[in-house]
Amino acid sequence: MAEHLGYVVAGYVATAVALGGYVLSLRRRLRRARDRAAAMAARGARTAT
Amino acid sequence: MSAAERAMGRIVARPGERALGWAAAAALAASAVLSLAVAPPDAQQGQVQRLMYVHVPTAWLAYLAFAVVFVASIAYLRTKRSRWDRLAAASAELGVLFTALTILLGSLWARPVWGTWWTWDPRLTTTAVLLLIYLGYLAVRRLTDSPPRRARWAAVVGIVGFIDVPIVHLSVQWWRSLHQGPTVARLGGPTIAPVMLATLLVAVAAFTLAYLYLLALRLRVGRVEERTVAEALSPRIGRPAEDLLDDAAGAPVEPAPRGR
Repeated sequence: MAEHLGYVVAGYVATAVALGGYVLSLRRRLRRARDRAAAMAARGARTAT
Repeated sequence: MSAAERAMGRIVARPGERALGWAAAAALAASAVLSLAVAPPDAQQGQVQRLMYVHVPTAWLAYLAFAVVFVASIAYLRTKRSRWDRLAAASAELGVLFTALTILLGSLWARPVWGTWWTWDPRLTTTAVLLLIYLGYLAVRRLTDSPPRRARWAAVVGIVGFIDVPIVHLSVQWWRSLHQGPTVARLGGPTIAPVMLATLLVAVAAFTLAYLYLLALRLRVGRVEERTVAEALSPRIGRPAEDLLDDAAGAPVEPAPRGR
């Protein structure tokens, strides 16, 4: 059954990649949304003055 | 503000989120050591049975995530507060991730044990349907620009779609299935070795912490994206962005019609 170790490694690597990749994608989304919100707030402030 | 909303607020506060992240990472590392090095291989399946320590927790979390969507959807329809819609959307996204992982890990386990990557077995088929339902839920959220309409449509799908969760769970008892039946949550007690059961419970706890961390992070993304929309609408509506965030003002905001 030792030859089946590849399936176990593939499963654990896939889990780590999926969870880690999702965290990274959320952080990227958060950064982009924060930048957009700041840019719009700055534009709004410029328009008001 | 209800007790549930206060509890949610504590979890998604920045220090709580960071602590959850570290706790989840440590628990997942401990779970990996227990699963790969401490728990013995199965007498019949050998090493490949170690996939159980990731396959079962991801399946449990898919159930939990969709249960949260169900409860948050009901709460949204009752209160019309957008925080419940944000919670449902965040949990649905996580549920889709964990369901897809469950199917992938099950497929990796099935190939050496059953001799096939996929078969139209009741458990596998109902799980694939579950994935499609919640992909549909996420698609429904993109159908309209109006936040209240989007939240209402999504809440209906989130409530109706949850019907498939007990069907998935009970499919191995209702129909003849290649998939094994319950070994932990069953009448008469668990049928697996105590060391394997302990390792599995640690894995379930670790993945639950990971779910809570991801949920807190995803909720923060939702809040910031909502603020971006409020900042964009503010000059067109002529009200401060803070007023447009319904958590502050108490009422959801319909966007102004697009000028063409």
